[in-house]
Amino acid sequence: MKLEVNQLDQYSMIKITGRIDTISAVEFEKVAQNVLNAENQTIIMDCAELEYITSSGLRVFLVLQKNMLLKKGRIIFCGFQPSIKEIFDISGFSGIFQIYPDLNSAVESCK
Amino acid sequence: MFKKEISIKNQLTQLEVLVNELEILSEEWELPMSISLNLNLVLEELITNTIFYGYEDQNEHLIKIEMSFENQVITLKIEDDGKEFNPLLMAEPNIELSVQDREIGGLGIHFVRKLMDEVSYSRMNNKNILTLTKRVLLN
Repeated sequence: MKLEVNQLDQYSMIKITGRIDTISAVEFEKVAQNVLNAENQTIIMDCAELEYITSSGLRVFLVLQKNMLLKKGRIIFCGFQPSIKEIFDISGFSGIFQIYPDLNSAVESCK
Repeated sequence: MFKKEISIKNQLTQLEVLVNELEILSEEWELPMSISLNLNLVLEELITNTIFYGYEDQNEHLIKIEMSFENQVITLKIEDDGKEFNPLLMAEPNIELSVQDREIGGLGIHFVRKLMDEVSYSRMNNKNILTLTKRVLLN
């Protein structure tokens, strides 16, 4: 798993490459928590290169969203590959998160 | 008929062995990527549960995974010698709840039920045996 963080005025972005599994979910949570501490508006999860995710990864997203909502902020997603979209649908996460088709539309929503 | 059997230890680091074996197997059996990823997910969710909750001692245990592919059906059989536990008895998570009320518990088994066609559990010779099948339509 590779993570790339960008922190801008209107939003922060975490680009995730590879797999969030039971083991890498721990590191992902650490990095994401740091981003969350510095961001009060929107964190965009760029998932164009995300290939695989387990319930451990979904758990991190849920915890982050709960924390962002407390600050009146939010996490949004973009660029899902079909297999990832399927996991979000099956788990019901598609209903509780905003998912954009690509980075551009996600960034637009922050303006 | 394709068949493969692997045994891994009850340690999270062994999940990497599983990933590698599935990659090799998926290429040999010519499985589509989506099937391969789903098999990986199902196995990781179940085996992680076993590693975390399945044993009452601190000892090393082996988890046996048999995989076969015949007549367009993939069959997985996971066998462990942990305490008696049927994951199918876990309550379904409520996937309609809002973010504030959502919990993660039960999500792993939920994926197993939704991604596989048939799932069955048996307890024999002090072993938990979980059998899962998935019909794969290949062109």
